[in-house]
Amino acid sequence: MNYSDLSSRLLHLGERLAKHAGKIDGETLGRSARRLAAQLDAFEEHLNSYLASRKSGELLLETLIRSPAAKRHLTFDLLKHGLREIAGKRLKSEDLPAAKREFVELIHEAGKQEKGVEFLQDAFAQAIHVEAGGKDKAHLQREFVRLGQLADEEFAQEIGKRTFGELRRVAGVNGIKFTDKTTKQRLTALIRRYAQRAAVNIAATRVPSHS
Amino acid sequence: MSSKVLAFINFKGGVGKTATVVNIGATLAKLHEKKVLIVDLDPQSNSSIWLMRPDRWREHVSKGRRSTFQIFDDALHGKARFDFDETVVKGVVTWTGFTDLPRLHLLPAAVELLRVEDRIHELRAPVVYQILDSALGLHFKEYDYVLLDCPPNLYSTTKTAIFSADGCVVPYVPDYLSLSGLMVLAEQIGEMREKFAPYLPPRRKPNIAAVIVSHYRQAGNVFRLAVNELELSLSQLQATGLLPDRAVLLQPYIRHCVRVAESTSEHLPVILYAPGSIGAQDYCDLTQRFVDLFESKK
Repeated sequence: MNYSDLSSRLLHLGERLAKHAGKIDGETLGRSARRLAAQLDAFEEHLNSYLASRKSGELLLETLIRSPAAKRHLTFDLLKHGLREIAGKRLKSEDLPAAKREFVELIHEAGKQEKGVEFLQDAFAQAIHVEAGGKDKAHLQREFVRLGQLADEEFAQEIGKRTFGELRRVAGVNGIKFTDKTTKQRLTALIRRYAQRAAVNIAATRVPSHS
Repeated sequence: MSSKVLAFINFKGGVGKTATVVNIGATLAKLHEKKVLIVDLDPQSNSSIWLMRPDRWREHVSKGRRSTFQIFDDALHGKARFDFDETVVKGVVTWTGFTDLPRLHLLPAAVELLRVEDRIHELRAPVVYQILDSALGLHFKEYDYVLLDCPPNLYSTTKTAIFSADGCVVPYVPDYLSLSGLMVLAEQIGEMREKFAPYLPPRRKPNIAAVIVSHYRQAGNVFRLAVNELELSLSQLQATGLLPDRAVLLQPYIRHCVRVAESTSEHLPVILYAPGSIGAQDYCDLTQRFVDLFESKK
């Protein structure tokens, strides 16, 4: 059942009830009607609150503050900063769950729900971690493939010209994991192995030219 | 309304295509308040069954009538039986029995779509390419995003999706078999672009707009190296003109998460089923990047 179905059912029930209202009585029906009225009171309260919060933007604010993105990116300091920026107020809560509730309440009081939504969306967007790899990433990736294409002797000559730091940068950018304890010899072997693999894989998947 | 129509394609199966469509669609609707239409074009009907549950889906698409199959059947038989309003499913039914995500709409698929490929070659170009666009183009305008969930092949149904789309999104798992497929996919889309060109409206040019990595694992070198090889291949495709320079590898990568697999059995997107899981968090972040890309925010 969806909300449209429920609304049709209530309309139909209302029409039947109105048609027979002057003729129906009895204790069993009365008790059932009282229970239904109580349930309707509760439902109406939820519906009113939902519609009001939806209209004011508060619903989205609450959705965002409980969202998976909030779980990952929302910090106490971020809420503190946001509240000061949007409503000029200070957080009194001392832990994150309480601060989230206080943030929503105070933003609501200030009538700045839309600003609150905007603040959270921007903050979450900026907090997403993206591996950039540095400005010379493309160059180091091309270099990696070129190293993979070299014959053993040429490779040894090329490696001999490079510092350990340079080799670590080539390896790091190209997805090779190593630790502080990894020796130059071991790192060279890893670069050789995976650069050859990359060169073969990229070349093998190159689209053949039709000319 | 300015809608973005995006075809999610990869002719390799098991790359997380349906999971990407369902979870990005749900996150766009829930956290970005976007109106989203998912169009299921895969005879396996995975996104339909995921979002509708098997019993509701079976009843809804009985004999293919209220499904995307009807669009193709109409084209083959010169009929007009497809009715958008009675086919579209609005929202996702939760275990309360009531709907959530009212902004997420679905045009379900039916297994009868399998029959379409056998006969669709009877239609000539450009009619065959335009089937989806002709039937749904006007409805697409009612949505912020239209996500076309294509079958794992590049046959006619997928071609109609590529023809209708403003761009293609390629879900990808970091391994060599996916890598080799990506090159062929880019070439095929390039060929389609040329073939479709005389019939396409101005400014629509089918192309790969984004690649999305799923089933990613942090452990060891394996996936980092595979993603590096993917980046190298994308650069190569851009250098040869098979991929536009603006095509991006979207981050973050979607990590392997058992809660996403579980959410298929619960028939809910992961942001509703397990909002605290890493899967839900990854899809939230990815969807934000998706919005930034397609709404041109840097």
